Amino acid sequence: MTTIATQAQMRDVEFQEFDLKNGLHVIVHQDHSTPIVAVGVMYHVGSKNETPDRRGFAHFFEHLLFEGSDNIARGEFSKYVERAGGVLNANTTGDRTYYYEVLPSNQLDLGLWLESERMMHARVDQKGIDTQREVVKEERRQRYENQPYGSILIEVLKRAYKEHPYRWPTIGFMEDLNAANAQDFVDFYKSYYVPNNAVLVIAGDVDIKKALKEAGSYFGPIPRGSDIKRLQVVEPPLNGEVRDVVYDQIQLPAVVEAYRIPAYGSPDFYAVDMLNRLLSQGNSSRLQRSVKDEQQKALYLGSFTLPLEDPGLSIAFAVANAGVSPEDLEKAMDAEFERVRTEPISEKEVQRLRAQIETEFVTDNSRMAGIASNLASAYTFLGDAGMVNKEIARYMAVTPEDMLAAAQKYFIPANRVVLHYLPKNQQQ
Amino acid sequence: MMDAQIDRSKAPEPGPAPEVRLGDHATFVLGNGMRVILVENHKLPLVSVQVKFDIPIFLQGPMAGLTDMTGELLAAGAGRRTKQQIDALVDGIGGKLSTSSDGVYASCLTKDLDTLMTVVSDVVRRPTFAGSEIDRVKKRMISEVRSRHDDPDAIASEVGHVLTFTRGYPYGEITSEKTISNVERKEIQGYHDRFFRADKGYVVFVGDINEKHARYLAERAFGSWRDQALGTIADKDGNEVVEGLGSVRYPRKQPQPFRTRRVALVDRPDAPQSVFRVVFPVQLKPGDDIAIDAQVMNTILGGGVFNARLMQNLREDKGYTYGAYSSLNSDRYCGSFSAGASVRTPVTDSAITEAMFEIERMTLTGVSKEELQLAKNYMAGSFARSLEDPRTIARFALNTYLNNLPEDFYSHYLERLDTVTVSGVLHAARALLVPDQATILVVGDKEVLYNRLSQLSFDQRVFQFDEDGDIHRDKLDPIPADVTAKTVVDGYIKALGGEEAVRKVKSVKMVMTGTQDGKLVTITMVHVEPDKFAYRRDVDGRSQEKVVLDGQRARRTTPEGSGEIIEMELEDLVQSAPPFPEIHYEERHIHPVLSGVVDINGRRAYKLIVPLDNGEQYTDYFDVESGLKIRHEERRTYGPRGMVLVTDYQDQRPESGVLFPHLIVEHQLMEQPYVVSQIEVNGRVDPSEFALE
Repeated sequence: MTTIATQAQMRDVEFQEFDLKNGLHVIVHQDHSTPIVAVGVMYHVGSKNETPDRRGFAHFFEHLLFEGSDNIARGEFSKYVERAGGVLNANTTGDRTYYYEVLPSNQLDLGLWLESERMMHARVDQKGIDTQREVVKEERRQRYENQPYGSILIEVLKRAYKEHPYRWPTIGFMEDLNAANAQDFVDFYKSYYVPNNAVLVIAGDVDIKKALKEAGSYFGPIPRGSDIKRLQVVEPPLNGEVRDVVYDQIQLPAVVEAYRIPAYGSPDFYAVDMLNRLLSQGNSSRLQRSVKDEQQKALYLGSFTLPLEDPGLSIAFAVANAGVSPEDLEKAMDAEFERVRTEPISEKEVQRLRAQIETEFVTDNSRMAGIASNLASAYTFLGDAGMVNKEIARYMAVTPEDMLAAAQKYFIPANRVVLHYLPKNQQQ
Repeated sequence: MMDAQIDRSKAPEPGPAPEVRLGDHATFVLGNGMRVILVENHKLPLVSVQVKFDIPIFLQGPMAGLTDMTGELLAAGAGRRTKQQIDALVDGIGGKLSTSSDGVYASCLTKDLDTLMTVVSDVVRRPTFAGSEIDRVKKRMISEVRSRHDDPDAIASEVGHVLTFTRGYPYGEITSEKTISNVERKEIQGYHDRFFRADKGYVVFVGDINEKHARYLAERAFGSWRDQALGTIADKDGNEVVEGLGSVRYPRKQPQPFRTRRVALVDRPDAPQSVFRVVFPVQLKPGDDIAIDAQVMNTILGGGVFNARLMQNLREDKGYTYGAYSSLNSDRYCGSFSAGASVRTPVTDSAITEAMFEIERMTLTGVSKEELQLAKNYMAGSFARSLEDPRTIARFALNTYLNNLPEDFYSHYLERLDTVTVSGVLHAARALLVPDQATILVVGDKEVLYNRLSQLSFDQRVFQFDEDGDIHRDKLDPIPADVTAKTVVDGYIKALGGEEAVRKVKSVKMVMTGTQDGKLVTITMVHVEPDKFAYRRDVDGRSQEKVVLDGQRARRTTPEGSGEIIEMELEDLVQSAPPFPEIHYEERHIHPVLSGVVDINGRRAYKLIVPLDNGEQYTDYFDVESGLKIRHEERRTYGPRGMVLVTDYQDQRPESGVLFPHLIVEHQLMEQPYVVSQIEVNGRVDPSEFALE
């Protein structure tokens, strides 16, 4: 274990950081191996900050923030980036919204200008709102409605949460997207798109001092916003299994088991994440080996941890092989969940997990775009950008006993939602 | 720190352009002919190894899926290890191992490479192909086929391949439950032994490894491998015969685009979106002179940039889709083009029309200088970004060998990209894009789409396919034995109100109105027994077209002038002059042919082909249930080339004891509904209406 830690230490992602007066946190990572630079801004706002009648607004808003600014006409934002030979995109989760460009390194200023314009005086007209509303609806149809099993997250969330805004998906709902108006845009922008709610990351072929100075020039003049009102909703325990059937345009049934788990960053979170790796990461993991290879009950399966800021979910999902019933498949899955609750986990298996995590940490920090977003996330959710290097120690510290305890606490029927996906033609 | 004043009103000027350095690779050949490629990069303690075989494509026919199955089975037991042992070893070092029909890819931390290489060597050279594993993989693949049938994107992709290349070409073959079941161990072993050969093999190391160590590992893993001499047996057609595999049929013909534009549909009842693809094969190989111009062209059309025409038109302007893209694949055997998007069902035809417009526009006029520059800059930027991953250099080296490219192909890429011009892009578009021979594939809700899609095809036909790319056999209600063309026509007359009532109709005047581009269109038609006809089309009160048949001669008058209608068109007019031509079929020796039962607007209908003396024909569709005529289809060989007129009759209500349609929908490029505002049966007919001058 010591060797592993030392080796990871040797490959630390180095960076410098400082705060602007307006509260914007700036992080710079320097790497001259390829003449490119990634510029990213993470806003600490996501779909959990929406009101219940504007579900999906944070993501809709993300689309609108490509429309332009006082100095950037509609449609020009992406042109600046692509004309410079770069790429741009953004994504939204329940907890945060992240925008980024990857540019040739001589275009760092362009990236800073674009992102500071976005933060300083974004602008959107009615045509932009109307068009992006349709685009977002198509995104919903494409990703959630016209995909087999595409509704899983939506169906799980609404049953796993009663109080917390995690009960709705980031993509939102059509009626709320229709209701969103220009005033919502102004309010959301003013409340959350302020420097004191954001972190700027620059990673790549740059000079650290110069980059910090430029960041100050472009973002310094942006006024600080009001303090952010953080969400204070405590979701009560599930208190008993929730079980349901969902009919979908599919032939092969599927089983979903969603367990409520603690928040990202808490000690138990790492134990749960290790358990999920034990269950489904790699062909020799327990579910893959037993349910998929030996019993041949599943075509596909996986068990994932959703790393959410407030208490989240661990979701196991399996598609049945032809001729296998969902009851049968669930039984096979549950046998493995029971094993982790009752049998001690061998040191050898934990060694395997540690080896996998070590490779993952090295791979995750191999590209500038990845490093930029990892630094931003670590700062936003763990309060320390340095966690990109230190978080691995939290995994390495998890013992087989911790995992057993976590399984007994969280991977229990009373703490889960179980869904059976069945072919539509079986619906009564 | 002082905040320096900056000018926010315009984009900052870039600094001096950084130099893009293409990293080096080393290469050497083992004694058995296996080529080793090495890209050293010691930034991270990671290394990957790829083994790839240069395998020609061939037709798998009834055993489609054989090569993929072999690929999957490579790691399901090899050498002395079972699948479980291989999995445990790979996971135990936190490594990755994936196998495919032409090789293996593996990666791990530097310290574990020697261990991983022993597995890689076994997996490539000594796969076990155990019966139990074959059964397991077959079962999984069959489930996968079913799962594919549930996924609209997967259907579009698979059926798209069939329609692009045809089943007679390896790229157009589809793996089905049946073909999976057909594969046996001897074929799997036969494929492996024939095509996994050291003298056709490449070993590619990338990452934290030096040349000495790479040489040592490659020798240890593959140095002792000796290829068997290839057999020389051929079957009577000259195909190579391989032990275990039988005759190997290499493709003899290059796929060609279909002869005309056609529309293919895979039905997904109630789908909220349609997935559409515009596809055709292209003759484009990676090293072709035109290749870079072609990629610039595709970037401007829809290849990845947000500012591409398809994205801007279908998403940013119309809001039809989350994303619209095109791809232009060069390939050493046969290239392909595909453009498409997922769009909400009601705008499917509009979205396809826009996509076709953009594809066609590429071939008609040159792109703007601004578009060209953006595309070139973007591609240069992508090239530079791709070099962040050391595997890119290895990929370049491997491509250079596999595709026989000049050695400096990639090192001169940026220079050549810089020389692409507007005319080069136009030339590439004209050479490669064939919108008039495109296949438009739609995976979506047939009930809503069928009619709308027929407008996009040159011959109004929509070919329906199933999820495996087979022609969909519509569940044809068998034509009952007692139904003939005559009973269909008689049933129609009866449904109208009976022969007596129909024969009493000596003249009909119909006035119908619709709007076109915001203008009021009024059509007046007078049919008089047995051979007089008058037609007038007014737009906003001004006459646009007048056709008059006085019983013998006919004339057309438009604002451009007036001319006599002769020959075939005259004969057509005479034939369709009476209010109900069907009652004249017998005396005029017209013998319709009942060709089948088909779906029209979601209704079952008898399809009746009516051949005429002059060699023309038209088609009528009669509702099975009501007996009424619900569609008339006319293909014209004169006038605009190949034009087809489709007219739907709806809202049938009685006038003077006979049913007449009160809503008439014409389909040409768009649906054009007309509301019938006046029907006058046996009214006063002014003879001057039929005066030719």
